[in-house]
Amino acid sequence: MNRFKMPPQILRLVLLTLAIVGSYLVARAFLTPASFKQYGWYRGDALEEIASRTPVYAGKKACDECHSEILQKLAKDAHKTLSCEACHGVSRLHADNPNIHAGQEKEEADEAEQARIKLTGSHCIRCHEANPSRPAWFKQIVVKEHYSGKCTECHAPHQPNQVP
Amino acid sequence: MKTQFSRRGALARIGGAVAGLLTMSAARKAKAAVQKVFVSSGAPKGYDPTKHKWLMCIDVNKCIGCGLCAEACKKENNVPEGPFFRTWIERYVITKPKPGLGETRGETFVDSPNGGIPIGGRQAFSELPVPKDQIEHSFFVPKLCNLCHHSPCTQVCPVGAAFDAPDGAVLIDPKYCIGCGFCIQACPYGCRFLNPITKTAEKCTLCYHRITRGLKPACVEVCPTQARIFGDLKNLAPDDPIQKFYEQNLVQVLKPHLGTEPRVLYAGLDKEVR
Repeated sequence: MNRFKMPPQILRLVLLTLAIVGSYLVARAFLTPASFKQYGWYRGDALEEIASRTPVYAGKKACDECHSEILQKLAKDAHKTLSCEACHGVSRLHADNPNIHAGQEKEEADEAEQARIKLTGSHCIRCHEANPSRPAWFKQIVVKEHYSGKCTECHAPHQPNQVP
Repeated sequence: MKTQFSRRGALARIGGAVAGLLTMSAARKAKAAVQKVFVSSGAPKGYDPTKHKWLMCIDVNKCIGCGLCAEACKKENNVPEGPFFRTWIERYVITKPKPGLGETRGETFVDSPNGGIPIGGRQAFSELPVPKDQIEHSFFVPKLCNLCHHSPCTQVCPVGAAFDAPDGAVLIDPKYCIGCGFCIQACPYGCRFLNPITKTAEKCTLCYHRITRGLKPACVEVCPTQARIFGDLKNLAPDDPIQKFYEQNLVQVLKPHLGTEPRVLYAGLDKEVR
């Protein structure tokens, strides 16, 4: 005897649920990128995408390929820890193509950057102006008391302890 | 019952199988076409993130507050103008204690005008919050993403856009980020911001496009005093600067009580630094 008869709407509801779950699974299979869960709960391809930016600063090694003489000079004096681009500005274009002179690259830089590059003294003052927050071991000057002319009159920038 | 093997039935079965195969291959093609949207090229080949573990060490005693790092970071990573920084310099000024109050030290002032980047050629920190003779201690602290091992920011991302890469970098997938800002609130070090142009969250990537090419991050590259030291724990050279840093300094991390286990290590940190 089969007294209980399943109401027909139950079957419809089950089918509808299956259809919804099924379409979700299909959509997920289509939309989940292949690299998802490659390393974790994120898109593995994102790592490559983030890494695909072009570097802006060329790096000291790139400068060393052609300007090793200056770098050897630099290594002998107090400015040995300085990177070339810390003072000379971004030089990627020049490093990629030496025919593009560093000056040309500077022309393309914005006005503020140009002004910074022209004022040779401002490079020195940026680091060496006295400030009570600066560590005591670091060489600092009070600009007004030190000298009123150009820094480069007495200090060779690549060898600051020598007169140019 | 005798099985009927009719021509019609056989053809229907074969047709069904062919149609099934066709749909499967069509589905694969469609899936590949959909996923093509996500795939890009131009990234450096031969970089395996599982074979590196990046680490940043900062010597507070060496930072002179020139702001070159913060400036280079903005240029390198195309960070928008204004109060948006992936790395910045903070100045701490601790005053002398007032006599008779039984205190070890006075007030602490922290500021970071324009992230430490000078405006108009002069240094950013030329103005002091208190007269010079009242200062007991003053120093600069460079800040950046702390590369947490247990990063609170990636745990809250609802769309899987913020993640810890296997090489230790904490990154954001710009295509997945919906700009909800949860991660910005979750970061205890304030290292994230919402880019006003792309409307997605941004942060220090350790210059991921540089380190994957064997270059140093821009901030480390331009730092004039080597206050920042960067290295790879899985590929340590015998005379690695990181090894030297460990040997010469006692190190501390920011907010150790949070258990985030940062991989940005500080030497010479004062207790006032948060």
